[in-house]
Amino acid sequence: MNISYRWIKEFVDIDMDANALADCLTMSGTEVEGVVHQTIPEEVVCARILEVTPHPEADRLHVCTVDNGSEHLQVICGAPNVRKGLMVALAPQGCILGEGMKIKKSKIRGVESFGMLVSEKELGLTDDHEGIIEIDQIDEKAMDRVRPGDCFLRALDLEDWVLDVNVTPNRGDCLSVLGLARELSAIFNQDLHLPAFDLVEDECTIDNKIQVSVLDTHACPRYAARFLDNVRIAKSPFFMRRRLFSSGIRAINTVVDITNYVLMEYGQPMHAFDYNRLNDHSIVVRRAGHGERFLTLDSQERTMDKDDLFICDGKGPVAIAGIMGGESSEVVPETNSVVLESAFFDPITIRRTAKRLNLSTEASYRFERGVDPEIQTEALRRAAYLMGEFAHARIWSGEIDVNHLDYTQKDIMLEPSYLRRILGTNIPLDDVGDVFTRLGAVVERQDKGWAISPPMFRHDLVRPVDLVEEYARIYGMDRIEPRLPAFVPVEMKHEKTAVEQMRLCLASMGFTEVITYSFIAGQWEKWFDTKMLGLKNPISDELSHMRTSLIPGISGVIEKNKKKQIRDVYVFETGKCFFPVDGRDLPEEVERLAIAISGARRDTHWSDPSSKVDFYDIKGIALAVVGPAVFRSSSHAFLRPGEQADIYVEDQKAGVIGCLHPDILDAIDMDDAIYVLEIDTRFAFAEKFKGMEPIPRFPGTARDLSLVVDEKITYEGIEQAVTECRIKEIQAIMPVDLYHGDRLPDGLKGLTIRISYRSDTKTLSDKQVAKWQKKVVRSLEDRLGIRIRD
Amino acid sequence: MEGQLEALKTTFEQGLAEIRDMDGLDALRVAYLGRKGRLTSILRQMKEVDPEDRPRIGTLSNQLKGFMEKAMEAKAASIKAAGTINAIDVTLPGRMPRKGFVHVINQVSAEMVGIFEDLGFDVATGPEVEDEYHNFEALNIPAHHPARDMQDTFYFNDHTLLRTHTSPVQIHVMEAQKPPIRVIAPGKVYRCDSDVSHTPMFHQIEGLWIEEGITFEHLKGVLYSVIHRLFGKDVPLRFRPSFFPFTEPSAEVDIGCIICKGKGCRVCGNTGWLEVLGCGMVDPSVYAHTGIDESKITGFAFGLGVERIAMLRYGIDDIRLFFDNDMRFLSQFDGK
Repeated sequence: MNISYRWIKEFVDIDMDANALADCLTMSGTEVEGVVHQTIPEEVVCARILEVTPHPEADRLHVCTVDNGSEHLQVICGAPNVRKGLMVALAPQGCILGEGMKIKKSKIRGVESFGMLVSEKELGLTDDHEGIIEIDQIDEKAMDRVRPGDCFLRALDLEDWVLDVNVTPNRGDCLSVLGLARELSAIFNQDLHLPAFDLVEDECTIDNKIQVSVLDTHACPRYAARFLDNVRIAKSPFFMRRRLFSSGIRAINTVVDITNYVLMEYGQPMHAFDYNRLNDHSIVVRRAGHGERFLTLDSQERTMDKDDLFICDGKGPVAIAGIMGGESSEVVPETNSVVLESAFFDPITIRRTAKRLNLSTEASYRFERGVDPEIQTEALRRAAYLMGEFAHARIWSGEIDVNHLDYTQKDIMLEPSYLRRILGTNIPLDDVGDVFTRLGAVVERQDKGWAISPPMFRHDLVRPVDLVEEYARIYGMDRIEPRLPAFVPVEMKHEKTAVEQMRLCLASMGFTEVITYSFIAGQWEKWFDTKMLGLKNPISDELSHMRTSLIPGISGVIEKNKKKQIRDVYVFETGKCFFPVDGRDLPEEVERLAIAISGARRDTHWSDPSSKVDFYDIKGIALAVVGPAVFRSSSHAFLRPGEQADIYVEDQKAGVIGCLHPDILDAIDMDDAIYVLEIDTRFAFAEKFKGMEPIPRFPGTARDLSLVVDEKITYEGIEQAVTECRIKEIQAIMPVDLYHGDRLPDGLKGLTIRISYRSDTKTLSDKQVAKWQKKVVRSLEDRLGIRIRD
Repeated sequence: MEGQLEALKTTFEQGLAEIRDMDGLDALRVAYLGRKGRLTSILRQMKEVDPEDRPRIGTLSNQLKGFMEKAMEAKAASIKAAGTINAIDVTLPGRMPRKGFVHVINQVSAEMVGIFEDLGFDVATGPEVEDEYHNFEALNIPAHHPARDMQDTFYFNDHTLLRTHTSPVQIHVMEAQKPPIRVIAPGKVYRCDSDVSHTPMFHQIEGLWIEEGITFEHLKGVLYSVIHRLFGKDVPLRFRPSFFPFTEPSAEVDIGCIICKGKGCRVCGNTGWLEVLGCGMVDPSVYAHTGIDESKITGFAFGLGVERIAMLRYGIDDIRLFFDNDMRFLSQFDGK
């Protein structure tokens, strides 16, 4: 909410500049997010128009001679209201009015102009740009003292500051000048000055002029109204338009502006109906029918629900209660008589409708947060007075007040021990009663503590703890001494530590961690086996479904970096995947780890032609991350057929590795392959210490065997054939060379394996090793028909 | 004279040991054996020597000359031998092991978790897809309450949503555990919002301490300690009353702007203060929802945004950078 500093100062007399005042409000819980200085350059002066002649070249322009106090200047002006004798505001050459608007000496259609006569909008006073400022319209009394050459800002006393106040949802009572002034008066223990006015009512009374019946007293516990006629619909006075403008409210006409002015002043939303356009001159407050349609005054047709509350006339709806009026009964230039409404609507009813219609107004915002239930008729009187003053209205005496509000005051007991139990043992107690009195509560000191009856406008004060907060707020949270509680060490390391360890391990292996959004595009569903959980209100189609795999996100990272010419990428991500469960609202959440690699295996180096990553890179990474594992060819849709495998650790499926499917690479516009791994995080770096193993005491030895093997035989088969010889001295088997090519017939491959032998009890002799080698060769020949190459 | 020759031999040997190349060797040769060399100048004094001693001294000096020439020859050979291996261009780049980086958000988060652990907090986690009850109702945010506007929520259906804060973990912990409770809950949260200062997903750390005798003073003590570890001991702190439905009293904590040191700048909106976290004493209605007997205990809760802290720490002005995952961004944060 934006609100004028000088307006607030009219209600409470505090000798403090706008910034200091803003700080005080902030530190008492009403956060002021900004203070904007409303000023006008000093060079803008009051000036009198001495002569006006038509511009020789342009019909709509005038050549004026203007007295600026020291000389007579020629100024071109296009405003319709320019005329001889007028006292105006003159921006001279060199004057800067806002960004990029510097007044220069210029030639307009061949005639020189030495300055500019300005409008309210050009000075940032309001958004009125209909014509140039007429000083008597701004302040009639100023005409007696203002002389040409006077500084416009000072002569009319226009300097102000606008506070941008962020009122928390529990403090609807602060959404007005009165509300903020009340806060300040409590903080500084200063008197509050309500606007003083004498309401002069006509002899005619409102009786029989209008019938009000409230059919739903729960949704509308109070409905008050007044009747006025002879209103003159015109432009509101300058001071009113400026204050509304400062608060971001557009000026419409006297009647509408006055209702908005009182809304800002007292926090009570009001509505004005054109009396003659109300059928049967009656008002009925009732719930809407399901599907009932209504045209609001912003020319939108709204479809209503049975929970919504309507204000109706004898025939049909004329306003959505507490939110917006309708076109059919709005005040128009021809309006002569008006009915002013000032009500208290049920906050939940208003909020539900405003939310459903996605229609938040100054009125609904305040009704949702609860207005002061005691101010309705006072607000009516204030508005009526202003109508009399500025719209020449005749104020019919009396008011309608259908009031079903329950006014029982509630006493809340605040015990000193409770106050200290929450705030701290050092909290002084001597000024508690005083603080609550300043806040407008009725306080009675009793044996147990203070019996406190908060003012009606403080709906938020219900429980003792609410009073504790209130006290802390006024006492000052900064005055409460910080103190550390007694230290109790945590009992054990948490699972999060394991994830942190994993991150460090992966980073030290050269992978960079990324974080992608947990929601991805719905179209990924077709590549993965599982259904995805869809958001009802996604930000975009690209971020619409909860991921069931980290791979779409992490591949996207590679693609995005490639677009920035970063092609060699080693990345990982850990995070949750979400799997819908039949018959349950909540999905199963599984913490996963994904790794993706693309581009060169090593950074480019002058000594070494770079080679691209392949399947065996990601497989090696998988082994480093999960430890001993078995890989089985797999057939996942999102991976390239023939270049993918499931990872099994101790017979449990841990995850998958492979090359991203070429169709996906195409779709994300990648020309380099992306190799990925995805596992359940509980398999990552999960190997436990199994007890100390002795360091071998005897040297080992290794023998190579070159084999000619049928292409169909896998390496795993060969390894098995060696293992099945059951020679316990075999420590390791590894392939050291693989050959496909011309020197071998089709369908055969050359494979050299290295077998390492070692004994724990002796140094092995050549003879012994040769014997074992023979056994191995025989096993390979017998089981797999493998030939040894000479 | 004999002594002079002895000393000359020693200094020559020392000089030779320091020679690393042919140029140095040539200079050494000139210095000792040249026309104005040190040995030559000694020999010029020969006429002052007793004639009887002259033959002996002559032999000695010839021997020394021979020794020097031989030694320099050997040195020359050694220099040449070393020179046949091509000198390496040490300015060419080396082979770098590839270096990886933990995401800056997780670095900052881990650092904070560590600080909280030092203060005695355990770590708890909770689901990211939540029901309305845990995210709102149990936290005293009823349906149709304006407080719901404080957070734009992603929904799956009328009762299932993405958690908008880590506060529901408070409820899960209170449902499962009896006081004393001292936990923090780091994790991802989601809000339907996207611009320079908002991303639809971000990270929070929630804290909860419930125990007999805990007061607002302790809340301040713990947060002072944490903020001072994060931002340094000198950073000023202020507690400002605010509103959260699940704490009463509630406060927001500001630190003195670390950019302008409180003078006022663009980052702090000219206020000199930066908002870093929200906190308060646990609202009795939260205890009521979780079945904890309020009569014996009190407690405090707080929540802070990890991105916010990281942005302030490192002077990052666009929150979206964290999720763009540009390698040139991620590789700037080396855990220091």
